[in-house]
Amino acid sequence: MLRAERDLSRQRFADALGVNYQTIGYLERGDYNPSLELAFRIAEYFGLPLEAVFSRQPFAPMSSQLYRKEDSA
Amino acid sequence: MIDDFDKLSVTELRLRGMTSDKILAEQKRRGMSKEQINDAWFPKPPTYNRIGSRRFRRRLVLATYTSWFLLAAILLMTSMALPGSIISLEALPILVIANGVVLGVWFFRRTYISREVLSSDKGLDERLVQNRNQAFRQAFQIFTGLVLLAWPLSIAVMLAQPGHQGFVDAFVIYFAVAVLASTLPTVIWAWREPDPVDPN
Repeated sequence: MLRAERDLSRQRFADALGVNYQTIGYLERGDYNPSLELAFRIAEYFGLPLEAVFSRQPFAPMSSQLYRKEDSA
Repeated sequence: MIDDFDKLSVTELRLRGMTSDKILAEQKRRGMSKEQINDAWFPKPPTYNRIGSRRFRRRLVLATYTSWFLLAAILLMTSMALPGSIISLEALPILVIANGVVLGVWFFRRTYISREVLSSDKGLDERLVQNRNQAFRQAFQIFTGLVLLAWPLSIAVMLAQPGHQGFVDAFVIYFAVAVLASTLPTVIWAWREPDPVDPN
């Protein structure tokens, strides 16, 4: 999702991180859990905290998060 | 200009008329490690991501191993049907060729699951190293069991069958062990690796 938002190809993202582009695909599909080192590198690449990129629970849809915020405000 | 010179490869330095000893001195001046110097002199061919779909790889595994064992079975049965004939000895070069074909399919391909890459961690990221290690561990477990089975079996067939028939049978067992020893980690990895993703 983050990669698509930035219009990055898997190949370019993988080159920036120094991994095989297949690994990026498997990370996105949830077929592979990265090491802490790689997780930090990915978070640093996007300039986001680790918990914004990775979560043990599936992320809720963006729309539901936005509407919940509006409701509480 | 000096920065550009520092980036020149061995071939480019050669094209500028530098001799081998001067190139080596230049590499040492750049602070390159022995491994980096070796890689610069003998660059490895690129490895490819084209490993095919999992279904294709699994079919290829079954096709290569089944063909090999069918061939071995036919040769064994033929040599048993014609005891003492020259066909027993002819079986051995045929099996050498069969081993070569299986090796060619699994061992020498320039994909990241090939044996060439299995020899070191170069070109492998953390996921690939993890998968490679898992494949090796599983191959070791399977292979240990097979060797423990093949060893007494080869002795038994040699003792049970007089003449060169026993030796031929033992050699067939040896070739089976050899083909598995050289391809099992790659084949296990190929079997387990998920379908490839699109680079875009």
